[in-house]
Order: sequence, then structure tokens, then C-alpha cells
Amino acid sequence: MENESISKELVEALKSFETKTKQVPAGYFDQFELDLMHKIKAQEQAPKRAPIVAVFLDHKQYLVAASLIFAIATGVLFFNKAEKDTAAVVKVEMIEIETLPNELIEAYVNNNELIAEVEWNTAIETEAASLSNNN
Amino acid sequence: MTDQALITKFQNGDSKEAAFTQLLKSHQTQVYYQIKKMVLEHADADDIAQAVWIKVWNKLDGFKQESTFSTWLFRIAYNETLNFIAQKKRLTAQHTQRTLDPSIEQPSGHDGLKESTIQIKLERAIAELPEKQRFVFMLRYYDDFDYEKIASITGTTVGGAKANYHQAVKKMTTLLQTS
Repeated sequence: MENESISKELVEALKSFETKTKQVPAGYFDQFELDLMHKIKAQEQAPKRAPIVAVFLDHKQYLVAASLIFAIATGVLFFNKAEKDTAAVVKVEMIEIETLPNELIEAYVNNNELIAEVEWNTAIETEAASLSNNN
Repeated sequence: MTDQALITKFQNGDSKEAAFTQLLKSHQTQVYYQIKKMVLEHADADDIAQAVWIKVWNKLDGFKQESTFSTWLFRIAYNETLNFIAQKKRLTAQHTQRTLDPSIEQPSGHDGLKESTIQIKLERAIAELPEKQRFVFMLRYYDDFDYEKIASITGTTVGGAKANYHQAVKKMTTLLQTS
């Protein structure tokens, strides 16, 4: 047997070691059961962690990976969309300018000149009125 | 009632507490003594034993009975004990290094007992064993667990468990003779 290789001195020491480790306070094991069940009941009654949070906490690496993918995807989509929008605006403006008849362009310029002239006259009149009031 | 039947009862949700209490009554002393042989202090053994049984309560629903309940239980006890010792070592290292193994109290005057020199020597020898060797030795020597079961508990091979046991015996013998 393997225990035959253990010296008598060691066997004696191990015997007294066991006796010592088996010394527990009186009624310890009964009290242990009561304390344990009390703790378990308290744990059961305590508000539980929200499952969604628990899932995320249990799989932090997935959360980090998902965040990175989301950030990259958002960046890619944003830059692509910006480029497309700019191209579309430039294209539309170029088509309109090229295809517009000269009469329309002239009319647009004339109308805007008129609006600008009216605004300018109004400003002069307002200023003149305020000066005459002061005098 | 067998452990298997009690576990099924627990997992089915009928008389969950009664089934658990029965399992506790059947195994608590063996688990406690094993832990106490590792940490020596009653208060520490009590803390670890509580943590072990709370884990059993929390995890028993998912226990698939691929091993015996006893093996599963002692695996939890092994992990909890090693975690406790590692944590205590870290805390003690921040203070003094007055003991050979900071996770274990000085043997003299322990639990109010007047101890023989040989007893003190043995406790010092046990304290110097690596935790795994210590755990393997206690399970084999005192509880007569077979090596397959010990290997499964400590996450090693049968050969590894045997080697751990014999190394523990050899070291303790040498330390008893020399210290």
C-alpha cells in the first residue's frame, strides 16, 4: 500500500492534525445550516440585476466588438452619403445652368436687381426720415 | 434518498429547500473538514464553506450530473479554497511576511491548544506544500478518494494526482526530519 511508505512519525502527526481540525464550536453544523439558509433567502429576495445588463457584463468582448463595428459602419455610411450628396447638388446645378434659356436667366437677373433696388431705396428713405426727425 | 434523486427534486423545483438541506446535511462535515485542513482557521473555513454552499445553491439547477455530486461539490470547494488562499496571500503580502506561508496562521497557540513540537513541525510542513499538493494529499489520505476522482476535482490527470500525493508525502517527511 502507498501509505506504507509514510513514516510512523508522520502518521502520528497526521493523526493529531486530524483531531485538531475536527474541533469545531459546539452546535456549529446546525448553526451553519441556519445561517446559510438565511443568507440564501436574503439573496433570493434581493433585487436581481437587470438581465440585459447581466448579458452585457458577461460578454464584454462582444459589446466592445459591436461598438467598434457600429462606429466604423457609421463612419463609412456618413462619408459615402456626404460624397453622394455633394455630387448630386453639383450635377443638378450644372444641368440647370446649362439647360436654362437665356431669356429666363436675364429675367432672373433683372428681377433680382429690382428687388435689390427696392430694398436700397427703402433703406435710404428710412435713414432720411430719421435725420429729419432729429432736426 | 440518493444525491441524484435529491438533485432531480431540486431541479424540478418541488421542495427545493428540503432537497438542498438534505444534500447539505450529507456532505457539509466532509467539505468543512477538507477546507479546514487547508486553511486551519475555523473562521476562514467557515467563510469558504458558506461561499461553497451558496455557489451550490446558485448552480445546482445547471448541474447535468455528468460527474457525481460529490466530485462537483469538491471541485467547487477546491476552487473556492484556492481563491481564498490567493486573496489572503495578496492581502498579507501588503503587511508583514512573518510566516512561512502567509495564508496560514502560525501554528503555535492555534485554537487555544498547546501543541507538541511534532505538531508544529507538521503544520509548518503542510504550509510549505503547494496548495494543489496539499489538497490532493488531504483527499487521498483522510477521505480515501480514488485518484480518478481527485484528478477530476483538481483538474489534473490520474498520474498528476498520484505524483502530487507522493511528492507531498516526501516533502512532509523531509521537513519533519530537518526542521
